[in-house]
Amino acid sequence: MKQHPSRKESAASSVASRVPDPRRFEASKRVLLVDAFMNRFIKVGGIGVVVAVIGIFVFIVSQVVPMFQSAKVDLSDTIGLGEVLPEGDYVAIAADEWGERPLALRADGRFFTADLGAGGKVTEIDFQFLDGDTISTVSAMPGSGVITVGTAGGKVHLVDYEYEASFSGGKRSVAETLAKGYTGDFGGPVKRVAFGQSGAARLVAGLAAGAEGDLLTVNLIERKRSLVGSGTWRETASIDLTKSLRPGVPVNSLLVSNRADTLIVVFANGEVDYHFRSGTSTEFELRQTFRPFAELTNPTIASAGFLFGDVSLVFVSPTGENLVYSLFRTEEEPVRIFHPTKDFASLGGKAGAAYFTKSLRNKAFLIGSGKMVSLRHATTEKVRWEGELPFAVRHALIGAKYDSLLFLGDDRRFHRFALDDPHPEVSVRALFGKVWYEGSPEPKYEWQSTGGSDDFEPKLSLIPLIFGTLKGTFYALLFAMPIALFGAIYTSEFLHPWNKVYVKPVMEIMASLPSVVLGFLAALWLAPILEQRVPSILCIVFLLPVASFVIGWLWSRQPQSIRKHVPAGREFLYFLPALLGILVAGWHLGPFLEKVVFTVPDAEGGRVGDFTRWWPAITGTAYEQRNSLVVGFVMGFAVIPIIFTIAEDSLSNVPGSLRSGSLALGASRWQTAWRVVLPTASAGIFSALMIGLGRAVGETMIVVMATGNTPIMDWNIFSGMRTLSANIAVELPEAPHHGTLYRTLFLGAVALFVMTFAVNTVAEVLRQHLRERYKTV
Amino acid sequence: MSFFSPSSSGKVEPASGEPMVWFSGMWLGIGLLMIVTLLGVIVKNGLTIFWPSRVVEVELVEGSPASIQGAKVLAGEVRKIQEKRIQSETGGTAREKQLFVGNRDAYGFGFRYLDEADIAKLSEPEGIVVAERVEYGDLIGYPVALKLADGEVRADDPGFFDRLKKVVAAGNARRHEIESIEKVQIGRINQRMGSLRLAERKAELEGRLTEDYRTGIAADLAELQRQYEILAGKAANLRAEQKSGLFVYRLPTGTEREIPVGDLMQFYFPNQIGFFTRVGHFFSEVWHFLSREPREANTEGGVFPAIFGTFVMTLLMSVAVVPFGVVAAIYLREYSKQGPLVRAVRIAVNNLAGVPSIVFGVFGLGFFVYFVGGSIDSLFFPERLPTPTYGTGGILWASLTLALMTVPVVIVSTEEALAAVTRGAREASLAAGASKWQTIQRIVLPASVPGIITGLVLAMARGAGEVAPLMLVGVVKLAPTLPLDTVAPFIHLERKFMHLGFHIYDLGFQSPDSEAAKPMVFATTLLLIGLVVTLNAAAILLREKLRRKYASSAF
Repeated sequence: MKQHPSRKESAASSVASRVPDPRRFEASKRVLLVDAFMNRFIKVGGIGVVVAVIGIFVFIVSQVVPMFQSAKVDLSDTIGLGEVLPEGDYVAIAADEWGERPLALRADGRFFTADLGAGGKVTEIDFQFLDGDTISTVSAMPGSGVITVGTAGGKVHLVDYEYEASFSGGKRSVAETLAKGYTGDFGGPVKRVAFGQSGAARLVAGLAAGAEGDLLTVNLIERKRSLVGSGTWRETASIDLTKSLRPGVPVNSLLVSNRADTLIVVFANGEVDYHFRSGTSTEFELRQTFRPFAELTNPTIASAGFLFGDVSLVFVSPTGENLVYSLFRTEEEPVRIFHPTKDFASLGGKAGAAYFTKSLRNKAFLIGSGKMVSLRHATTEKVRWEGELPFAVRHALIGAKYDSLLFLGDDRRFHRFALDDPHPEVSVRALFGKVWYEGSPEPKYEWQSTGGSDDFEPKLSLIPLIFGTLKGTFYALLFAMPIALFGAIYTSEFLHPWNKVYVKPVMEIMASLPSVVLGFLAALWLAPILEQRVPSILCIVFLLPVASFVIGWLWSRQPQSIRKHVPAGREFLYFLPALLGILVAGWHLGPFLEKVVFTVPDAEGGRVGDFTRWWPAITGTAYEQRNSLVVGFVMGFAVIPIIFTIAEDSLSNVPGSLRSGSLALGASRWQTAWRVVLPTASAGIFSALMIGLGRAVGETMIVVMATGNTPIMDWNIFSGMRTLSANIAVELPEAPHHGTLYRTLFLGAVALFVMTFAVNTVAEVLRQHLRERYKTV
Repeated sequence: MSFFSPSSSGKVEPASGEPMVWFSGMWLGIGLLMIVTLLGVIVKNGLTIFWPSRVVEVELVEGSPASIQGAKVLAGEVRKIQEKRIQSETGGTAREKQLFVGNRDAYGFGFRYLDEADIAKLSEPEGIVVAERVEYGDLIGYPVALKLADGEVRADDPGFFDRLKKVVAAGNARRHEIESIEKVQIGRINQRMGSLRLAERKAELEGRLTEDYRTGIAADLAELQRQYEILAGKAANLRAEQKSGLFVYRLPTGTEREIPVGDLMQFYFPNQIGFFTRVGHFFSEVWHFLSREPREANTEGGVFPAIFGTFVMTLLMSVAVVPFGVVAAIYLREYSKQGPLVRAVRIAVNNLAGVPSIVFGVFGLGFFVYFVGGSIDSLFFPERLPTPTYGTGGILWASLTLALMTVPVVIVSTEEALAAVTRGAREASLAAGASKWQTIQRIVLPASVPGIITGLVLAMARGAGEVAPLMLVGVVKLAPTLPLDTVAPFIHLERKFMHLGFHIYDLGFQSPDSEAAKPMVFATTLLLIGLVVTLNAAAILLREKLRRKYASSAF
């Protein structure tokens, strides 16, 4: 094949005369064409491959960037605009899951709906419930499916609304049904109402004007389960909380949580009462009275509401200050009470008649007054979006899918705007800083991406993962460094060349062991053994270096006649039996040590040796079977050969003249190795460690298999960790495409990429530098 | 310290730092010992599972907690002898044996731990039989009788074992036939039905679904359904036949049980057979392990699909990695101007080899699976949506991901090999009138082929052993079909596949009964290590040869 393209030409020339044919100095067109093509091809291909390979980083980063964009609401583009509602005062609105058929309740008790999906046509719903009474107060918290209405006649009505979607020909149409749920008598004109429901229990709170002042009553309505159907709602208790009211201080608002266990009373003077009912009890207990805006000159509260999940309360002051209080228990307190956790940026001095609504997807909420709207997220303590509407807001709702904002303006029209905010729970601080999560007594770093319930607050701090990565790397290097470096020194400086031929390939083979194999052995073979034998390991760790020193010292004291039997560079072979002996001795000494030192009291008052129980008892930290010791040990396997090979290479490449010079001047071989060769190769050694570090940082399977993968933050050698890489391997297969978790995991990959790439580049530059240096020596 | 030859003075000052030499020697010793121990553990555990060990029968002391269903006797293979901690006032340890007692259907478990103190008598009964079954793992017991259609044969009849052998062989043949009907023939019919339905959906999407077309497809489907029913009937008949004969045996604990002969795969008498039979059995077990498909949640049977998947994936990866790696290396070494920029690029490419594999997996998932695969699906396979075809992990994406991961390895070693070709050779070629490409093609590349192959083999070794990125881009615990088969278009690049490395992870950590899975994990580990170590050793040998051939300038 090699000959083929030129055969024609040579044949042609041999046929011609001996005079050189001028054509033989011309390359054939085909050759030139092929050459030009291949030159172009390789340039394009080569640059292409290099760019593609480096493009990996660009692509991964491009997947992360959208996570940090703030929310977008395009006010110039309504995705739904209703016709003008009939004249009147509208006291409440509610909407379906898609925001297509919002309904509004007029003060005279009539409901209107606007079909935003088809032109916004307004129709009145054929539903009456007042029986001639007049509405005095209304509460319609999103997500409850209930509008609570208090009347001047002393009644409280629950109006259940339900939406049903039907599909025909690929188009969705939504229809609402309204039903009268419950009516209760509260003994006087009702001034404030609140409603909350959890499963089979509903709480209806009402403040009514009585003859001798206000009456505060909470009615418990329960649904008894029956064998057929879901049963009916029945009032099972009526709890009188009038005593908790302050004479002369009117109540601003009432709030009931959707766990049906909490009643919040907000007074006009800015005080807040927290009543709690535990389990199925019919008693309320006043747990806490606090004043969120006590420091302000006007400490009153303009609006208040629960966040999704009903663990946090949002307060807005008339001047626009915005605080979040969360329920948690501190060490000193016996029960959970509200503490301030978040302090948001002020609305800017104008809250006036403020409104509040919450998202039913996440911890976002919407506050504002007049034309001003501010969308905020509690976890990140960030204002997601703020804007000025062309109309004053009467009522507002956040779309059920957190994809739209719905307003009823003072122009009596429904306005629906698209909300583009796919990653509200992410901010630089949420990823890398301490965050005060709901229910936690202090701000902390935490990773917990998914939870059991809908109202779970994702905790996406990368810090525990980075910490876990560093912890694993630290223990791996702690174990691998002495073996690899001293092994490399011995191999390059002292080892007999005959043995070197075998030692190096064996180490290189070790580098090729798949990490899944190492991980499996770590978890299923090594971890159970180590669990029984920690004291033995301690014995060995102590005995081995001591013994090697003692043997070395004794040996160097022996006369030449004995020493000549062990050729230089073969010490390790002769040391192996001793090594085995020490291993066995240490192994069997361990249990004795355990019996003497690591004892814990047993059931009968004696003491029994058990390290796995001794450690937690003494240090207060856990002992886990799959711990950092195991990971460090096995990850060492992965790292040792890398450090060893590179370090050995750079030591061996130190010019021999340096060695000869040092020895000729009378330095011993150790002195030569330690004081002459090692410093010369130090850059190479350092780069070996860096590359080893890079490998340990990115190691995945060993960590996935040999630790419990709990994202904890402590340096305890007997507990596990979760590393960035393991986290990706465990969570990415389940992460929805382009979701927040998906992008956060990509960010983890970026972090890994940057860490290893930086470390390796430093190492590589050092190595090149070293190479230059050798040239000059 | 004496400056002169130490031997002249007889007794000399010891050389300074000699203990440190021993100290560093110790660390090297530890390193080597670790490797040897690790390989030893794997080889020992990986091989012993194939060895037919003897079965012991244990008579327990009264009231032993190890007793199974109240019986005083139990039998099994000793798998492990270990020390255990005694939870009592004296503390200390006791020895215990782990017995593989089999008969998971009867006992509900496969292993029993047994204190040595609980053993009253140990024996190795001659008549005990170990049989591999289709379900519930091994059977360990005493044969009692065979209940066949033509009458009953007792175990003490002289012709019993020949007869048993024959019916087991017949059962195996029948099982094979059932498999071939259900997997191959019915599989083919299912596949054709599926593609007919897809064709209908496609026509509907493209708006050319006529009534004729629909009825045509319906007729075809009905015909296929008829064929299917014939085959299914045949398979059902064979299955019924498998259940016709019964093998009666007595458990070591004393209970008599029956099992259809068709459920037995093979049997042997562990305490009767001689050494050579044992060796034969060992090799046949190894062969079964390599050539069969997994059963019982992968804890029994073989790993053939995993071997095949690893092989095909590595092959696809090699096909992708060599051209790109070589082109990039030729560009970097032969075409680009050697300057700081190229040096920076070289360092960057070099360092990509050190970027964690999981990062490549993340990239593969985001780019290949979701971006490229998703686009392919919406362009070419709209009739299958929302079920993804290429928009989900598959062997193609896995191979490309690994190719990307290993391309730096190939680039680096190809570059090294290109650099080792002497300037003289190049200049001679150019002087003789060859063009640049001709020089590269005929002089430089042939000389660097061993280097390229070294790089490829290293890349294959790294690719074959890597698991973390695969978990994101298409490996599964059990793939129903192989990525290569006899159904057109023969190579199914979109299919998910099994992989030896993932098999280890899955068996060891996702398996419901990890104790029962352990032998399989060790055997798979041994296989994978054998594969990877062989590849690496080949690369090392090749490189050594190269180094000797061209004394390279770089280290």
